[in-house]
Amino acid sequence: MRSPWRQLRRGLFANPLDGLITIALLILLGHAIWALVHWAVLQAQWTVIRANSTLLALGRYPEPERWRLWLVLALLCSASGLSWGLLRGPKWPRHDRVTATALSLLAGLVPLALDLEATVRWAWLALVALLLTWRWAAGHTRRALPPLMLRCWPLIWPLVYLLGMALIAGFPGLKPVPPTLWGGLLLTLVEACFAWLMCFPLGVLLALCRRSDLPLLRWGAVLYIELIRGAPLITLLFLGQNILGFVLPGGLSPDRVWRAAWVLTLFAAAYVAEAVRSGLASVPRGQIEAARALGLNPLQTQAKVVLPQALKVALPALVGQFITLFQDTTLLSLIGLMELLGTARSVLANPQFLGRNAEVYLVLAVLFWCCCTALALGSRALERRLRHEPSAIQP
Amino acid sequence: MVVPVPWWRHRRLLPWLIQGVAGLGLLVLTAAIVTNLVRNLSYAGMLLSWRWLGTPAGFDLGESLIPFDASKPYWLALVSGLLNTLRVVAAGLVGSTLVGTAVGVASFSSNILLQRLAGLYVALIRNSPLLMQLLFWYFIVFLSLPSDQAAIQLPGLVLSRSGLFLIQPHLHQGHWHAPLQLSIEFMALFTGLVIYSGAFIAEVVRGGIASVPQGQWEAARALGLQPAQILRTIVLPQALRVIVPGLNNQYISLAKNSSLALACGYSDLYSVAETSLNQTGRAVEVVLLVLGSYLLIDLLISAVMNSLNSFVQIKER
Amino acid sequence: MTIAHRPALISVRGVHKWYANGHHVLRGVDLDVEQAEVVVIMGPSGSGKSTLLRTFNGLEEIQQGRIVIDGIELGDDLRQIDAVRREVGMVFQQFNLFPHLSVLDNLTLAPVLVRGRRKHEVRQQALELLERVGIHEQAHKFPGQLSGGQQQRVAIARSLCMEPRILLFDEPTSALDPEMVQEVLQVMQGLARGGMTMVVVTHELRFARQVADRVVLMADGVVVEVAPPEQFFTSPQHPRSQQFLSQIS
Repeated sequence: MRSPWRQLRRGLFANPLDGLITIALLILLGHAIWALVHWAVLQAQWTVIRANSTLLALGRYPEPERWRLWLVLALLCSASGLSWGLLRGPKWPRHDRVTATALSLLAGLVPLALDLEATVRWAWLALVALLLTWRWAAGHTRRALPPLMLRCWPLIWPLVYLLGMALIAGFPGLKPVPPTLWGGLLLTLVEACFAWLMCFPLGVLLALCRRSDLPLLRWGAVLYIELIRGAPLITLLFLGQNILGFVLPGGLSPDRVWRAAWVLTLFAAAYVAEAVRSGLASVPRGQIEAARALGLNPLQTQAKVVLPQALKVALPALVGQFITLFQDTTLLSLIGLMELLGTARSVLANPQFLGRNAEVYLVLAVLFWCCCTALALGSRALERRLRHEPSAIQP
Repeated sequence: MVVPVPWWRHRRLLPWLIQGVAGLGLLVLTAAIVTNLVRNLSYAGMLLSWRWLGTPAGFDLGESLIPFDASKPYWLALVSGLLNTLRVVAAGLVGSTLVGTAVGVASFSSNILLQRLAGLYVALIRNSPLLMQLLFWYFIVFLSLPSDQAAIQLPGLVLSRSGLFLIQPHLHQGHWHAPLQLSIEFMALFTGLVIYSGAFIAEVVRGGIASVPQGQWEAARALGLQPAQILRTIVLPQALRVIVPGLNNQYISLAKNSSLALACGYSDLYSVAETSLNQTGRAVEVVLLVLGSYLLIDLLISAVMNSLNSFVQIKER
Repeated sequence: MTIAHRPALISVRGVHKWYANGHHVLRGVDLDVEQAEVVVIMGPSGSGKSTLLRTFNGLEEIQQGRIVIDGIELGDDLRQIDAVRREVGMVFQQFNLFPHLSVLDNLTLAPVLVRGRRKHEVRQQALELLERVGIHEQAHKFPGQLSGGQQQRVAIARSLCMEPRILLFDEPTSALDPEMVQEVLQVMQGLARGGMTMVVVTHELRFARQVADRVVLMADGVVVEVAPPEQFFTSPQHPRSQQFLSQIS
């Protein structure tokens, strides 16, 4: 049994060169961390964040209608809690307990640090409580639910999206809020969610065409995928903003927000197609033969036998694509849309907050990094779950 | 008597009918788009033409390899932008490969601290948007450099807010000059691209080295070779088989990512094109030129990497 | 008094198949398989025996000739091909079980989707079939958790769940470890005794001797000899059969 001290010595000072490297790295690291902490506590002025937190979060969404956004958040928390509970079951392993504690701490401390109103602080805590309650409830009632409902649980996400969009944009009965007023994190999430939901079926369709025996479908898919993959996203966004007006019949001019959303979708679909294609290639030919021999038609074969296996293999690459898509929404600031980064830059252009680049960019970077890392960790957990139990939900 | 099979059940006919319908649909869609495009363009008086390329640009470029000013024609501006793009992409490919290889190899180091730091670097960079990183490098790092008076002076190079001066920098009337001068816009874009792509290339290199079977390491140790020698002579050559295709993807990514130069104020192809479009309104032509150029760059990179690929593939029976 | 002549369940006349690269794999095959008959097809590799088997359920197309299964001609009509596939079951060398579905779901998938039956009544039948092949306890396991022999028995049960009139076996024991071959052959023997029409491509001589009604030898894309097993194994007529038997015995 090696003592931890000896293991550390072996890992860091195994030979003179290693020892030198360790010392040099420790000095550098120590210096960097000290400088960062010193700046963050003493020199940085965090008022810029406090003063603009609402702008960064919601853009210019009208004040009297903001209750709708809280409703959307409540829907999201419920759906997340439900999914989490259905995936994990009644027990709370260490991972879950750590996540729950972290979420509660975040919901409690961050609004405090941002100096938000008391009602808002309580609202955030209530949302986390809602999420955890759903998690607990779903975990415990999982056994009692009919298997059909368990198979269809992913469908609540498109449903939540539609409801959410209806609430944000306004449907008959609610006051409409035009997309020009959406901004900040709200706009980022709207764009990302739209692209996430729409690029997936498109990408799967493209992948199926790519592997089809019919030459027209196959080469059409290849052409589309290779053209999109060869183009930088910013040029395609540019194309969408400028040329769409010329291409659609006169008079039809969708809002810039939706033009960008469609470009993001069509862009991501090509990459999703490539990920799904490698998944499809990993399914042995014998599977298709067995299905056809049993009498299943091509549609049933793809839906019930091939795609479930292909998507499981493609899952890591797919989640990687979703994370990239989320990060790509920042490019919308370059075509003049006021999503999170765009709003941040407009805040920095305000003479009152001139020069506060570091504070604003640091907060934004931390926010993005946390979301992306959470997504990556979640995907790895899902992967592990799928590997140990071939069907995601067991009765 | 042979009963003719109805077309919707015919094994051989049906695929062609499906393709026919799909092809027709695509044709109709394309025709609709093209007609709308032509009609709307002619209303705006903007039918496809290339003559505007010869008219004076009316804007200046931040930097240019070839002499340029506002009186020169648009096509020269675009060429200059293209050269700027090629310049930063070429430098970026070299830099990111060096950084990525170093970090990828470091993740196999016997020093745990080095290993963990390599992993931390990759995790930090991959989960942050590239645009934010570029803004960080430009606005927070490079724009905070001292002015020429208080420039950072090292043997052979000088770094100030005016740029990086290499090869015998000398002071002239309070400003630095040198045979090789790089603007901070270029430096910011270059650093951002290298650090970003370096993280992804590190993962590719790491995956490549990890793909070499453990038995190779063991056999080499048994022969008495040192870890560094093993890496150089036995593992890396085999790892290259897996690494080179992955590098192709990352290189193309880097070339496309260079289009974010706009954020750093660097006059690359895309930023020049955007300015040109804003001034002339020639959307279709500009977009065609830009997309075509990036496609060509991608094809060039792929062609070079493919020939490299066939070079590193191990001859098998 | 005349005995009505029942047409053969499988009728193959003058079948030719070429691949796109010009390889002529089936060169004029004639064969009849009667109801409740067990036919074993043997031959050297490349003789076209697996290809011939796969033409019986439309997995391989033929360029020339006629194949009639249970009165339905296999041609270009997709509806007829689907009708044939409902009546013909196939067991593959690589089992080809669906790894993402449980054993029970593997069995019930096709009857529900293809024959439109209700899931709970198919479940009952599936459990009975699993009992018949001796894997009742594994009903809720997944294929990855079973041994090769168990997987192949599940594959047989899966085909049986569609209530086929004919079962095709494409080298069912070739991918199994030796100790598991017997359990699969026993199941097949039970099926034969129960009156199932079976066409089996295999190298298992003892199975052919004990269970087959007729043995067919194929070589170079043609049927060389057809005879009952006692006659085929003790006194083969064709020199090619003699050569084949001397190579494998």
